[in-house]
Amino acid sequence: MEGELLTVIIVVATALAFDFTNGFHDTANVVATSISTRAMSPRLAVGYAAILNFAGAFISLEVAATVASDVVDPGSISLLVVFGGLVGAIAWNLITWFFGLPSSSSHALIGGVVGAMLAAEGPDAIFFEEGVLGNVVIPGVVAPTLAFAVAGIAILVLYRIVGRLRPAPVTRGFRGGQVVSGGLLALAHGTNDAQKTMGVIALALVAYGSLPAGDPTPPFWVIASAAAAIALGTYAGGWRIIRTMGSRIHKMDSAQGFAAQGAGAAVILASSHGGFPLSTTHTISGAVIGSGAAKRLSAVRWGVAGNIVVAWIVTLPAAAAIGALTYGVTRLFGTGWAGPLIVSVLILAGSAWLFTRRDHQGSAVAATSET
Amino acid sequence: MSLASIVDWDALLTVVWASLVAGVGASAAYGLAILGSTRAVDLGRDGRTGGATVFGAVGAIGIAIVIAAIVVGLVVLTD
Repeated sequence: MEGELLTVIIVVATALAFDFTNGFHDTANVVATSISTRAMSPRLAVGYAAILNFAGAFISLEVAATVASDVVDPGSISLLVVFGGLVGAIAWNLITWFFGLPSSSSHALIGGVVGAMLAAEGPDAIFFEEGVLGNVVIPGVVAPTLAFAVAGIAILVLYRIVGRLRPAPVTRGFRGGQVVSGGLLALAHGTNDAQKTMGVIALALVAYGSLPAGDPTPPFWVIASAAAAIALGTYAGGWRIIRTMGSRIHKMDSAQGFAAQGAGAAVILASSHGGFPLSTTHTISGAVIGSGAAKRLSAVRWGVAGNIVVAWIVTLPAAAAIGALTYGVTRLFGTGWAGPLIVSVLILAGSAWLFTRRDHQGSAVAATSET
Repeated sequence: MSLASIVDWDALLTVVWASLVAGVGASAAYGLAILGSTRAVDLGRDGRTGGATVFGAVGAIGIAIVIAAIVVGLVVLTD
């Protein structure tokens, strides 16, 4: 039992580390538009987003319930499967962060868990149709498309309303509006993304036997620790991706930033209420592209947008492959804590190497301020 | 198993209409708030107080709609 307790501690710590990388990786999705339009300074935007990410994590548990019980069979879950899934997601997040690609942390997590479960128990333990397809893949396609449409319609309506006014007060007005829409987006991000970690920790607690498989509702300490981890990760920031999201897709004005953030927040919050664990990255990317395309199709750098789409498509299978591989490696050391401990040390070493390499290539903060 | 039975279409359609109403509606209301406040200042400067009052009211209504949309959204989420 002591060995199992150590394993669950390693798994929960890994889940919180994933949550941290999720915040770190996704900060850009939340703050890039505010920074790009100069509605807020980068530091202020990141700090503000961190606080609202923390608050957002306490709003709802619908998404946590979906992750904990509707994607894989909670009755077949083991601590090593949860660990493999988390490592798959963390590794994929780090790789895409290193290359500056805003891929989905959420799909990485779900892909990782599905891959590890597939390696451990086979396809019967995965709810492919209602779970993966119905709750993840289809909403994952609908959400960015919807955000694209909502942002596009919103910006057309806004231009119609304010198009003949003097530009200075309009810009000031929308920059002020972005403080609110950016805050809502951060709240939405905390609501949807922190819940995925809560769901995965709940799965680990089911495997450990401290939560029932039939009702894996996360306890308060899980909610609070997941909220804190994503908020800290958000504060640490993902400057490299800020650059891609804020200026490389298209140059936006403050009205477009407001429309994109409002559309993203509306779609994510509505989806959270429906219990869909969608990708905040996909959604805000769709909204950013929609707000640009509605103004002028050529304003969008479609090559960058295309790279982002490719990263989206690759994320589920890549994270699943890493999750399955991690499960296989940890099983080489038995079912106890040795495998997770060794893999955790390897992941930490790999992360340190990536951070060092990134530092050698120069900070992206300077690049952001150039745009 | 068909696609129709895999997806909870009711929930997904709710997401679609709620997002459209909140995203487009609140943005339009905020646009009206900017329109109202900007025009109210311009007309007030020209001494046209009647027009300034009307546009001021439009701006206030726009802001009220945005605040109401946010409050309703958060209440529904936390319910």
